Amino acid sequence: MNMMTVKQQGVWAALLWPYLLTASIPLDCKEEQGSLSRCPSISQEKLLDRVIQHAELIYRVSEESCSMFEEMFVPFPLRLQRNQAGYACITKALPIPSSKSEIQQISDTWLLHSVLMLVQSWIEPLVYLQTTLDRYDNAPDMLLNKTKWVSDKLISLEQGVVVLIRKMLDEGMLTATYNEQGLFQYDAQPDMLESVMRDYTLLSCFKKDAHKMEIFLKLLKCRQTDKYNCA
Amino acid sequence: MAVSSPSSHLLILLLISCLDWPSTPASAFLLDRDHMTTSAPTEPHFTECISREQETFRCWWSPGTFQNLSSPGVLRVFYLKKDSPTSEWKECPHYNYSNRECFFDVNHTSIWIPYCMQLRSQNATFINEDDCFTVENIVRPDPPVSLNWTLLNISPSGLSYDVMVNWEPPPSADVAAGWMRLEYKIQHRERNATNWKSLATQPHTHQGIYGLHIGKQYEVQISCRMQAFTKFGDFSDSIFIHVTEILSGESTFPLTVVLVFGIVGILILIMLIVVSQQHRFMIIILPPVPAPKIKGIDPELLKKGRLDDLNLILSGGGMGGLSTYAPDFYQDEPWVEFIDVNAEDADAGEKEDNQGSDTQRLLGLPQHVSHHMNSGCSNTIGFPDDDSGRASCYDPDVLDHDTLMMMATLLPGQPEDEEASLAVEEDSLAVEEGVSTSERTLIQTQTTGPQTWVNTDFYAQVSNVMPSGGVVLSPGRQLRIQESTSATEEETLKKGKEGEDNEGTAEKKQKELQFHLLVVDPEGSGYTAESTARQISTPPCSRMSGEGYQTIHPQAVETKPAAPVEDNQSSYIVPDSPQSQFSAPVSDYTVVQEVDTQHSLLLNPPPRQSPPPCLPQHPLKTLPAMPVGYITPDLLGNLSP
Repeated sequence: MNMMTVKQQGVWAALLWPYLLTASIPLDCKEEQGSLSRCPSISQEKLLDRVIQHAELIYRVSEESCSMFEEMFVPFPLRLQRNQAGYACITKALPIPSSKSEIQQISDTWLLHSVLMLVQSWIEPLVYLQTTLDRYDNAPDMLLNKTKWVSDKLISLEQGVVVLIRKMLDEGMLTATYNEQGLFQYDAQPDMLESVMRDYTLLSCFKKDAHKMEIFLKLLKCRQTDKYNCA
Repeated sequence: MAVSSPSSHLLILLLISCLDWPSTPASAFLLDRDHMTTSAPTEPHFTECISREQETFRCWWSPGTFQNLSSPGVLRVFYLKKDSPTSEWKECPHYNYSNRECFFDVNHTSIWIPYCMQLRSQNATFINEDDCFTVENIVRPDPPVSLNWTLLNISPSGLSYDVMVNWEPPPSADVAAGWMRLEYKIQHRERNATNWKSLATQPHTHQGIYGLHIGKQYEVQISCRMQAFTKFGDFSDSIFIHVTEILSGESTFPLTVVLVFGIVGILILIMLIVVSQQHRFMIIILPPVPAPKIKGIDPELLKKGRLDDLNLILSGGGMGGLSTYAPDFYQDEPWVEFIDVNAEDADAGEKEDNQGSDTQRLLGLPQHVSHHMNSGCSNTIGFPDDDSGRASCYDPDVLDHDTLMMMATLLPGQPEDEEASLAVEEDSLAVEEGVSTSERTLIQTQTTGPQTWVNTDFYAQVSNVMPSGGVVLSPGRQLRIQESTSATEEETLKKGKEGEDNEGTAEKKQKELQFHLLVVDPEGSGYTAESTARQISTPPCSRMSGEGYQTIHPQAVETKPAAPVEDNQSSYIVPDSPQSQFSAPVSDYTVVQEVDTQHSLLLNPPPRQSPPPCLPQHPLKTLPAMPVGYITPDLLGNLSP
């Protein structure tokens, strides 16, 4: 299992580089004033595909990071506590559909907004996670690289979703983030185990939300192509 | 850092815990199952909860050892959906008591929200803290459907082949909408094997299996799971792959047939060409072996026996490029008959070098000649002689005196037969006079005389021309005249045998016939021609080395047309005028240029004019002044007195 994850991480490390390039391309050039470079235009379908790819990769890397962390730092008897820590997820308060039937009922707009909420709520905690993992003595570099990569990709994902909202929904730019205040609190945990469990909870919750984001975007794409057979 | 020691503690704890648990459980039920192996729980519990398509899920429970709770309806399932802090335990929406299953339909299923399960009886509540899960973590997709395989290729050896397997995702999984992202795993094995071989998990609905063996039957199964998740669904129904050897055999059979027929056809064609004797093709297939051929000569000439043309060619007049094989073609020349080659009596190497001629040494023949004269034609020897033509076969009894004389003169000298030869000469001379005894002695000596022919070299020098038209040849250059020995020989001979008779006869003959007398060299290197006394008185210079030989011409010899006296000066016919006294030796031999129509020899002129006395030189250089030209039989008649 350990070797498999390492191999997977190696594969994904090689796969991540093209996505770094894609992430570096500014999705919306109109906002930048005075820039000399011409922005490449991209179609809505292609943009959606790219966003979906981002989401898929983010989920996969987050899943690998969680597994790696779990194997390395979490004691075995405590490993299932993530399932019980549903309350501890920071995004539990967000009005996000949680079943397929619910998703079928909400509109595209709400779907996109849900995704955006999720993305925006996880940017800051991931940054915090980077700092905490650096404090671990024997944290493997692979884990640190993955979390770093995920936090960077999340930012580009947010940019993509914003452009999508503007293009698809013809709405103005959303400047405010939902979880700017109070959702995430940094508490100093002197106990090592507590700290580990908190980070573990963080990783597993992010993994769940990444999965959520991926499915939402895929369903949105299905709705764009075939309205009648999609969820 | 501050967390270093706690982290190490954590690691140690983790390592210890890893030893107990072989795998990482993703849900409580896995843990429960493993836990049951170590310590079987006795109270009611949930065995498993599975979702097939991430839209619904089922939970199965077991009463454990509490048999009193096994009856349906006694145990009740409650679940808690942690979507809000104020959520409550609810009962199972749909019971299936036959298999103790609780089914949660779409309306009651929420993804990404933890569920906790518990069993309740009337009196107690059985709960396990670990029985909490989120639906996406318990998803086990249905197996793929519509499996089929296609043959990709067969290896050149015909022993293995490759196969491509295709399938469809399970219909329950909403892959098209993107609700689930699946990846598949194939496993295969031989028909009667026990271990499965798994290929790498991949998200496509097709995969190739490589390196299967022909003739063996293979079983293939596929299962799938959600991407980035851990739980695989059940395996599909097996499909069987079997490729027999018929395919491989058919592909190579026509090739071998074509090859065999091609080779047989080519062989038949070659045989037909050879049998039908088509020369054009024969030359191509079997080129002819070149026959031996003389450059410049048409073999047809030899076949048809056209001698004149052949003579012309060979003499160099026609085509040219041929060396002069003159003696070979003078088949009709009478003088050829007189050349007798006898190799039986010659001893090789027994005598001193002076005795043995070059011919002897070359041939290795004994110098003494046996009584081959009496044996007649058996004496003829196939002696390869360049210029002697063919050995003649003659009967000594029927020889006329002329021939006898010639024979005697022609024979190379030997010390033993010296007297005999002298006697021969005497007798020959006496024959003219009608001395009968001479003939007998001649005959007798002839028996021993001819032994010395071995010393004869290959060349034949014309020493004289007979009145009858024949040309007298003298043997080759082996005849030497050694001054000391020859002179003594001659003197002894003169004194011993010839005496006055010799002189008298010589004088007689000198006028009439003017024969040269042969004196056999005691050394055997040759024989000297003993002329008349007057001639003898003037012995020619002899060679000390004995390489060459000198010719002694009788004083009575006026002309020495046969200056080409090679070895001895025994020319039978000499000019009557004896004034021409040759004090100096003449050339040993000269080359017969050609034969006239009147059968007269055209010879080379002698190279020298003034003979130096006793010069140990080549005889050719010390020729006296001799008349250049040749003597025809007519001239001979004039010469004779």
